[in-house]
Amino acid sequence: MAEPALALRDLVKTFGATRALDGANLVVERGTVHGLIGQNGAGKSTIIKILGGLYKADGGTIAINGKPLAHVSPRAIEHLGVHIIHQEALLVPTFTVAEALFLGAEPGLGPLLSPRIMRKRAEEVIGRYFDVTLPRGALIGELSPAHRQIVQITRALLNRPSVLVFDEPTAALVRREANRLFGLIRRLRDEGTSIVYISHYLEEVQDLCDRVTILRNGRDVATVDPRDTPMPQIVSLMINRDIDDMFPKVPVPIGKPALTVQGLGRRGHFSDVDFTLHEGEILGLTGLVGSGAKDVLQAIFGLEPADQGSIITHGKQGAINSPASAIRRGLGLVPEDRRGQGIALDISVRENTTLASLGKLTRFGFISRRREGKAVAGLIARLGIKTPGPDARVRDLSGGNQQKVVLAKWLSADSDIYVLDEPTVAIDVAAKVEIYRLLGDLAQRGAAVLILSSDLLELQGICDRILVMYRGHVTHQLRPAETTPEAILAAATGAAAPAEKVAA
Amino acid sequence: MSATTAPTRPIGAQLVRVTTPAALVILFVIFAVVSPTFRTPGNILHILVNNFSLPALVALGMTLVVSAGGIDLSVGVAADIAAMLAVTLMQNGTGLGLSLIAGIGGALLVGLLDALLITVFGISPFLATLGVLFIGESVQQLATNGGTPIYLVSNYPAAGLDFLAHGQILGLPLPLWLVAAAVVLTQLLLSGTAFGRHLRAIGAEPRVAWYSGVPVRRATWLVYLLSALLCGVAGLLLSATVKSYVPLSGNAFMLDAIGAVFVGTTISRETRPNVLGTLLGVFFFGMLHNGLLLIGWNFYWQQVAIGLLVFIVLGISFLTRRLQTTD
Repeated sequence: MAEPALALRDLVKTFGATRALDGANLVVERGTVHGLIGQNGAGKSTIIKILGGLYKADGGTIAINGKPLAHVSPRAIEHLGVHIIHQEALLVPTFTVAEALFLGAEPGLGPLLSPRIMRKRAEEVIGRYFDVTLPRGALIGELSPAHRQIVQITRALLNRPSVLVFDEPTAALVRREANRLFGLIRRLRDEGTSIVYISHYLEEVQDLCDRVTILRNGRDVATVDPRDTPMPQIVSLMINRDIDDMFPKVPVPIGKPALTVQGLGRRGHFSDVDFTLHEGEILGLTGLVGSGAKDVLQAIFGLEPADQGSIITHGKQGAINSPASAIRRGLGLVPEDRRGQGIALDISVRENTTLASLGKLTRFGFISRRREGKAVAGLIARLGIKTPGPDARVRDLSGGNQQKVVLAKWLSADSDIYVLDEPTVAIDVAAKVEIYRLLGDLAQRGAAVLILSSDLLELQGICDRILVMYRGHVTHQLRPAETTPEAILAAATGAAAPAEKVAA
Repeated sequence: MSATTAPTRPIGAQLVRVTTPAALVILFVIFAVVSPTFRTPGNILHILVNNFSLPALVALGMTLVVSAGGIDLSVGVAADIAAMLAVTLMQNGTGLGLSLIAGIGGALLVGLLDALLITVFGISPFLATLGVLFIGESVQQLATNGGTPIYLVSNYPAAGLDFLAHGQILGLPLPLWLVAAAVVLTQLLLSGTAFGRHLRAIGAEPRVAWYSGVPVRRATWLVYLLSALLCGVAGLLLSATVKSYVPLSGNAFMLDAIGAVFVGTTISRETRPNVLGTLLGVFFFGMLHNGLLLIGWNFYWQQVAIGLLVFIVLGISFLTRRLQTTD
């Protein structure tokens, strides 16, 4: 049998009193896609940083193609053909695509750089792997996350790697872009490259990987074939307890209408959208990119106001043309881009929590520190936010806890209509379950919840009804008990015949 | 790495916060030992009135602007325009009160232009206020035949003007009272009100602020107007002191104010702009200008010394922050 492409054995790494890795193994056979999964803190990123030469292991061995590595440094491993696509793109934002792509290995005429040749070469190599043309002359900083990632992957591929490591590559991608990436990964595997694929998304891993290693508490608890292993089993391996119920759905009596949209539309994006969201209800909304589902959400929250139709909240009608006006009507948005729109990383948990409710906490023009402190302490306890304290920077919290701070902000503002945009993206399984529980809790207290998600299991697991959008219209209304993820997907892709007209 | 364990702050991170105050005390002692004149109460008051109060007013406005993630390069222009209008009007026989009000109005126009460029045209604060700086300098040169100072004729009935510059209330010079008022105002705004909180949120992540219903535009307008207002007051005080308007003289405020705000951030645990830090920063610069002069360094070496000290203070702060983040 051939030597494995990559063999990390018995890795140990301690930080102070914490044992980040406690004898972890990762053995990747040649020409396979090997998943690496585990909760936050399980040791995934520590392994990658050791492999990348950024951390020095306290114990263990690394072998590449059977050759043990004595000295691990970023240069040494790249020399041996191992390339890592880091989660955050390590590219110079003010460089052009070509400059970033060839940085350190510029093609040209001898010592002279030729921008024209570089640009042509760049288009050529990107075209070899990706079916896209990046905007000509664009700077890295102007590119979308997906395009930045394309540049990063191409940069690695220029070196003809034998092992390619992807660290959470889809965290910043929309589904369509992710699917394109999966296509590329399969192609690279078929061409003989070995792939290590780290992800929070179990469905992705199940779909893409040939083998999966599950990490828990710094150890590899199992390496399995994901196609033969049911998802609940993988989940319980990750968290070491059975969650019979990943989706703790509590039946809640449906109350009065909280949010009604009638004939809502925005030219070029969506039209004739009608639905009513009730108190105590969790309403799912889904659709492919471009279906208009996200635009509906943005119109309801006043980010991109609608130009047709009306929005009625608690029986009151009125235009919503800014987030501030939406918030006054009782709405709260948990945006998809948590770090850019949901929370400010460099201010404290306290300041983030009360940002939308300062008016309520102000007496005679001044914020009452006592009231604020009490409100924030109450919310930290109620949501179980794990933070060193109310004055810790949100940056120091895990993704799941950051998401809870976003929820806390709206709870503090007494919002009663919660609009969530892909709320469980890039947070680990246990934190997801907690978010679901909190949403159920909100509904139980009479709040109305509208959740846009492309996680079909999630929609089926927690929603009372699911609306599917296709090409700017709501085409299906589905009941979770009577549907399957496949049926939802069929509706979203237009494979299922639409209902006459859905007025939900 | 669980989020429950409080990040242990390296001792260095605590130490950095005393860098600026410590440097201030050490330099104060050195100056006091080397120069007997330096340590006289008269000189200390001189520093406070002449080297501290005017830049302090400007720097307090800058503290608000930097909190909101902006920068104001047009502070000198706001001060100069206020002085130019007020002195020109006085010279033409307009009453003191009206002249001062017109001066403040001129300064507010500068702030208005900054805010307009930033909020309506979406120009970055650095470039918008830089543009206003260039325009403002040209306007002054055009209005004064290329920069000729305007002197108030000596028979201007200027009891009020003298009071502005040298008057005392309860034994303290009026400029210091104005600084005190500005300190109270900025401190209350920044740490007590929703407006101050909004500024910090905008400074940290403007889109998050907008998504949270913060009136981002209104806050931006207000902060540049406040900065211009404080600059206008400083410009009027300057012209009252020297009984003239010297074109472009306000520009000296800009670098000291920006420097003071950033030096001041080193005393904050979160390295944020803060009122106390800014005051320490302004005093630091004012004391250096005065002390180096008194121990007999020539002007050019003073600038070198000030530059080096800023490097040292900010450098130590930067290094410790790096220690903090690579845990």
